[in-house]
Amino acid sequence: MKNKLRELRAAREWSQGDLAEKLAVSRQTINAIETEKYDPSLPLALKIGKLFRLPVEEIFET
Amino acid sequence: MDKPNVMEAVQPCSGQYSWKTDLRLNRWFFVAAVIWVGDLALLKQHAEWSPLLKGTLALAPLLPGLMYVWTCVRFIRGLDELQRGIQLEAFLFAAVGTVLVGAAISTLAAQGVSLGGLNHGLGMGATVMVMFTLWLVGGAIANCRYK
Repeated sequence: MKNKLRELRAAREWSQGDLAEKLAVSRQTINAIETEKYDPSLPLALKIGKLFRLPVEEIFET
Repeated sequence: MDKPNVMEAVQPCSGQYSWKTDLRLNRWFFVAAVIWVGDLALLKQHAEWSPLLKGTLALAPLLPGLMYVWTCVRFIRGLDELQRGIQLEAFLFAAVGTVLVGAAISTLAAQGVSLGGLNHGLGMGATVMVMFTLWLVGGAIANCRYK
């Protein structure tokens, strides 16, 4: 699944570790989502949407 | 927010290793191993003991073993979702692999073919060793997919 997580994170000048801490996941998870090797669960996708104040469908697209 | 458990905390030389976390996770495994080794020595020296006592002693490591399983379940629940998926894949790989290896060795033993002195199947110690090895292999394979 394509996503804009890397761009959104970079715009806020957060490292993968910073974002991982805010979402209470591991840095490996953030990296796997950004490289599109892993699709997050619905609760995590909603958490990401809430953190960036964007609808989930604007961050993730099929 | 609560920090998720990380597997690196129990992997020596990972840079995030924590002996406290390792001890919390693996203490029951060491208790089971110590009881198992003690049992082996006792049962070897006292072959005259009743079958009930010998059976109880032989199965004694299973009790701390159950506690170890419970500790592992709690640790895995605390992992973040990707790590949890990786660990579940690794455990599935290890469980299925151990069943296959055990079945193969038992079948060979039934036919009179002994592999490495395993005349009566894998046994408790070898089962743990095979499962642990396969868990490491399964974890490495699953980790590679998400690197």
